[in-house]
Amino acid sequence: MSQILPQEQIDAWKERVTGHAHPMELVVDVLRAIQAHHGWVPDAGVELAAEILGTTPLRVEEIATFYDKIYRRPVGRRVIHVCDSICCWSRGAEEVVGFLRERLGIGFGETSADGCFTLLPSCCLGACGEAPAMMIGLTTHGNLTPARILAILAAESGEAAP
Amino acid sequence: MSGYPRVLFKNRRPGETLFLDDYLAAGGYAGLRKALKTMTPAEVTATVKAAGLRGRGGAGFVTGLKWSFFPADQPGEKYLVCNGDEMEPGTYKDRQLLLADPHQLIEGMLIAAYALQAPVGYIFLRYAYEDCARNVERALGEARRAGFLGTNILGSGFSCELHLHRSAGRYILGEETALLNGLEGRRPNPRSKPPFPAQKGLFGKPTTVNNVETLANVPHIIVHGADWYQGLALTEKGAGTKLFGLSGHLNHTPCVELPLGVPLGEIISDHGGGVWQGRNFKACLPGGASTPFLTRAHWDLPMDFDTLAAAHSRLGTACVTVFDEGTCMVAATLNLNRFFQRESCGWCTPCRDGLAMVSWLLEKIESGRGTPDDIPMLQDQLRNISGRSFCALAEGAMGPVEALLRLFMDEVEDHVKKGRCPFN
Amino acid sequence: MPKLTIDNQSVEVPDGTNVLEAAKRLGIVIPHFCYHEALGAVGACRLCAMKFEDGPVKGIQMACMVTAQEGMVVSTLDAATVEFRAHVIEWLMMNHPHDCPVCDEGGECQLQDMTVAGGHTLRRYRGLKRTYPNQQLGPFIEHEMNRCIQCYRCARTYQDYCGGEDFGVLGTNQRVYFGRFRDGRLESPFSGNLVDVCPTGVFTDKAFRFKSRYWDLEEAPSVCPHCGLGCATIPGGRYRELQRVRAGSNRQTNGFFICDRGRFGYGHAAHAARPRVPLVDGQEVDWTQALAAARARLDKIIAAHGPRSVALLGSSRAGLEANAQLRSLARLLGTDRVVFAAHAPRDWTARTLAAGLGAQASSLDDVRRSDCLLLIGADPLAEAPLLALAVRQAVRGGARAAIIDPRPVALPCATAHLPLAPWRLGQALAALGDNDWSRFEGQEAVFLEGVHEALAGARHPIVIGGADLLGPAGMRQLLELARRLSREDRPCGAMGVLSGPNSYGAALLAGDGPDFEELSNAMITGEVRALICLESDPLTQAADPAHAGLALARLDLLVALDSLPTKTLGHAQIILPTTVTAEGAGCFVNNEGRMQTFMRVLAPGLPLRETGGGGHPPRLFMADTPGAAPRPAWEILAGLQGRAASLAELRDALAREDVRFAGLTALAAESEGQRVADAGLALPATRVEDYVPRDGELALLVCEALFGSEETAFYSAPLDPVRPEPRLILHERDAGRLGVTPGEQVRLHSAVEEVVLPVEIRADSAPGVAILPRVRGSLVEAFVPGVGPQPCRINREVDHA
Ligand SMILES: Cc1cc2nc3c(=O)[nH]c(=O)nc-3n(C[C@H](O)[C@H](O)[C@H](O)COP(=O)(O)O)c2cc1C
Ligand code: SF4
Ligand code: SF4
Ligand code: SF4
Ligand code: FES
Ligand code: FES
Repeated sequence: MSQILPQEQIDAWKERVTGHAHPMELVVDVLRAIQAHHGWVPDAGVELAAEILGTTPLRVEEIATFYDKIYRRPVGRRVIHVCDSICCWSRGAEEVVGFLRERLGIGFGETSADGCFTLLPSCCLGACGEAPAMMIGLTTHGNLTPARILAILAAESGEAAP
Repeated sequence: MSGYPRVLFKNRRPGETLFLDDYLAAGGYAGLRKALKTMTPAEVTATVKAAGLRGRGGAGFVTGLKWSFFPADQPGEKYLVCNGDEMEPGTYKDRQLLLADPHQLIEGMLIAAYALQAPVGYIFLRYAYEDCARNVERALGEARRAGFLGTNILGSGFSCELHLHRSAGRYILGEETALLNGLEGRRPNPRSKPPFPAQKGLFGKPTTVNNVETLANVPHIIVHGADWYQGLALTEKGAGTKLFGLSGHLNHTPCVELPLGVPLGEIISDHGGGVWQGRNFKACLPGGASTPFLTRAHWDLPMDFDTLAAAHSRLGTACVTVFDEGTCMVAATLNLNRFFQRESCGWCTPCRDGLAMVSWLLEKIESGRGTPDDIPMLQDQLRNISGRSFCALAEGAMGPVEALLRLFMDEVEDHVKKGRCPFN
Repeated sequence: MPKLTIDNQSVEVPDGTNVLEAAKRLGIVIPHFCYHEALGAVGACRLCAMKFEDGPVKGIQMACMVTAQEGMVVSTLDAATVEFRAHVIEWLMMNHPHDCPVCDEGGECQLQDMTVAGGHTLRRYRGLKRTYPNQQLGPFIEHEMNRCIQCYRCARTYQDYCGGEDFGVLGTNQRVYFGRFRDGRLESPFSGNLVDVCPTGVFTDKAFRFKSRYWDLEEAPSVCPHCGLGCATIPGGRYRELQRVRAGSNRQTNGFFICDRGRFGYGHAAHAARPRVPLVDGQEVDWTQALAAARARLDKIIAAHGPRSVALLGSSRAGLEANAQLRSLARLLGTDRVVFAAHAPRDWTARTLAAGLGAQASSLDDVRRSDCLLLIGADPLAEAPLLALAVRQAVRGGARAAIIDPRPVALPCATAHLPLAPWRLGQALAALGDNDWSRFEGQEAVFLEGVHEALAGARHPIVIGGADLLGPAGMRQLLELARRLSREDRPCGAMGVLSGPNSYGAALLAGDGPDFEELSNAMITGEVRALICLESDPLTQAADPAHAGLALARLDLLVALDSLPTKTLGHAQIILPTTVTAEGAGCFVNNEGRMQTFMRVLAPGLPLRETGGGGHPPRLFMADTPGAAPRPAWEILAGLQGRAASLAELRDALAREDVRFAGLTALAAESEGQRVADAGLALPATRVEDYVPRDGELALLVCEALFGSEETAFYSAPLDPVRPEPRLILHERDAGRLGVTPGEQVRLHSAVEEVVLPVEIRADSAPGVAILPRVRGSLVEAFVPGVGPQPCRINREVDHA
């Protein structure tokens, strides 16, 4: 994980940028690729994206800091986005958050001591029919109960073991 | 459950996604074939217009009318963009559609692109919809291999390329001009209108933005005709079916397809199984977080664009979030307002700072620290934010606040009088 | 020209005017933050709301976003609108610190003004305020983000208007942040404009910090003395110290912005070694004694050797009135040996321009509105920074801009660049005029043909040439090209880039008189025994400083009038201290022949900071002001003629005697200035062929740089942190041939001097040319730009050792 993006991927992105009429169109994709590989986007990742896209780090940072799903700070191996929007709120989102806080021993924006989980609030995940819901990585989990949460956490932390 | 015809969900099976073979077997791509082989682009637009299809992204603008403003004859770059941002709380219908039957969208986009003579289209999907993105990716590959996508589609001479764009969060990307900025890799603040996207959209070229569900309706209209589509709705002026995503305090919270004009009470009782835990219905958001609350008084209201507007609300995305009698409406409004506050793009003052002021006031009232002055202050915030922001986000945020002060003033006052939330 | 009614008054405005501007014309100023004339309307702050009562638009709308239309009836006093504006201010103030007394913007803060104007008097929000960390943005700009009201003006100025790519908008919702990717110096040469455009105390002038409150400053409209464009400025002084400069506005020239050289070049006024008292043979004397001594010694030399043994040297740094007084002094003394520039080629180029520009003259505003620009031998960022911004605005508006220049000319916008050796610029001009590409090959011919086609097809074409690279012959060709490209229905404009704030004025006075080369030869032969030097430093400004040194050394008498501690002062027997631009009044004629006046901002004097040793208030009481002796040069020169005249009288006399300056009497400060009347000069004959290196040889080209090479700004301490290190720019092909790598030390052998310096290797400069940007006060001090390509030899320093 120390490497921000493997060289083949850097080359592949650069090739896509060459001849592209609007290279900045790819900025979110490049940032997401860096994040997928490195877990989050460090300063050097912003600089790498700028280099790939032929722009300045500031121009990339303007975009990276707008989106909430681009992590500009270190996160754990899994990021938990708990929905705090209206449908989940109406069906116990606050209890879900309380349970997660207690289990993981962390608050919003923090990472568990074992480096496994980072807890973040999120707006509606589009799983309102299965409220309360949360998203871990790119997977959405609905109909959360304490038992289900425990099972999900166990599975995720097993997979995410360092 | 009900005898209503299903159109968009006719192929939907629980937990399954329909891909090309099954889609073709169910009559898929007949609309595209018909449009390309037998209709001119203008005829397609005219049919969609005659069908009375209205935008399913929330604003309800007549789709055919929008297309008729598009300079389809103008040579050069033009774009069709599918808006799959779907981030307004309570709204999850586009996801259900893409999980069930992604080719419908692709076929709809190809027909729309033909009508608009746009050689390139983008499908913009929100971050959280990776499952949908994979379906779309697979469906695009299938369509390309089958000759529905690419150059000279079905030998018609019409060529069209569709690209998938995965976003990275933020509700404002759903606003069409912010979405275009996002696609271009700019900061996704909304653009001022005019110029409208039809004149100056993606990369400065004519562009039409439509919602996922809107576009998915198009093949069916082309296959079955405008009259058939008109006839699907229960209201006189309405047209078509609508995906209703249910959520909140109901026994069941499915996403169901029903004709436009179904009464609110029927949706709640028949499809939501009634309010949960044997409680009474108090209020609901009829179509997403930005739509003013409805109450028991609206139980028989037909769910359609015009009927809801007449009831001081909006159909929005028709995703209904129900609140039971135990719900504190101040707390619910605070939750809603905090969402809009957090998702403000930060461009204009009434939204960026005004919504923070509203949250501060609501929080003060909800936590029992409210004073009698806070109520008129909340009213003057509402009065001065409504209609004064740069884009419709802050306008939407005022929906629930307005309804709170109109419908639940006694509850607000009770908080102040008691110095605590009466529901706690 | 729609006519509309605002608050019951009717007003007619040009098409395309927005309603906010229309109201301003009626004297109705509605609070606004995000709208700015140069930046346009974006509708972000929502403060400029008005009620549209009747006409094509209805309801409460943002006036900046509505174009005035016939029949509109608008109210700014409507109760709901007034209430709304007060709310906007209240929202903006939610997070704003309530500590105006300690804010550096205090007193000149638009947020303060608008808060009062908007009627927000009572704070209702009692929640927590959002706070931010600040960034270190380098030597010029202080950053205090907590004061931000998110009007986006800074980012729009920096990125959109100025083309900077290292500063912008970060974050979202209530946490939007205006800053850089990381701490570090703002890279744009126009960064200082952030101070002017930010309506709050987020961006303040770092060099000015903790010096004065705005209301304690003495300010007056002035003209920037740091290049030939003559941007409008407003210097501010206090306690006998010039403490800062902010941009003035002149829609014809700079618009609303200035460059960092112009903003931070003011430090020359407080230079510790600045001449402060009249000196005769090193002895402090009073003015009467000094003037008497000067006259007596001049008279003695004239008596012994005749009037032509006295020569006078003016300069482009001195104002028009001072140079004119120099001319009348020469007449009084009976000598025709009066020259107005120490650098002969620059002198002749300026005279060529002044003689031939005529109706082709184009202002910076014309450039901004142009649809096709050719820049040939001109490097705007180095030679006339605001020209770079004007070109950018043209390009943003859809113009095409082509650059023909041996240097790697970089502009903050898209341009096409043909790197052509300096000795071929004339050929290019000729080819463009004759539509004949036979002397060019392949890509070059294609490029030139494209430029010609674009210029011919454009509606507002302008050709722009730099004096230093074109020389007199090239400047003449440039003017000729503009004439050829002009058609009955559509003229082609021309602009020459000159080095000094008054180069054009000096050239007009010079007419067909002698040049400095002639003068220095006469000094060396002994024909000239005495020189009166007006704000000129031939030892660094002459085309051949060594030759100038020999000449000065032969003089019996050098009388030097100056405000800068120049090298030339070291040779002077009599030193007469003059005021700097901000301490006197006068007129500069800019590079398009526009006369502009500057007013006196503050009286000369030794800054209190120095006399008081930093302590305040001063403990020592004295009757006179220390360091107050410097006088305006025109006053001294009039004194030498035995006259005591006011500036107005001198101007009247000049306007009467020389019709070209007839506009001088009516010239108002803070106006757009006035072009000089037709020059009525004959184009001077042009001479000298450029040195053309043979195959395999390199030519040395010395040129100006943004920082470190302009004369007056060189003496300014606030610019010290950005002074560049000397370097030699080589084309990659030449570098390859020489075997040098980037950054490597090379030894440059030239007629001027032998120096060792690092190289920068470029692919976008002209092959065969070694480019040396001038850096005053460094090891390449002796190299002067504007002398054409020179023979040189370059070795790797490792080989040498
Ligand atoms: C704040 C905001 C968020 C929006 N989000 C969405 C969205 O997620 N999906 C969508 O289709 N339309 C959304 N819209 C509406 C779009 O701007 C646009 O009207 C719509 O995509 C047009 O498509 P339609 O006519 O097919 O509905 C949003 C509008 C606003 C103001
Ligand atoms: S209302 Fe204003 S701040 Fe809010 S999202 Fe729209 S443009 Fe941005
Ligand atoms: S820093 Fe100043 S100019 Fe920039 S947005 Fe904030 S208040 Fe406006
Ligand atoms: S461009 Fe020239 S005149 Fe204008 S501020 Fe800069 S140095 Fe001064
Ligand atoms: S509100 Fe939580 S997923 Fe929609
Ligand atoms: S000045 Fe008009 S909205 Fe800001």
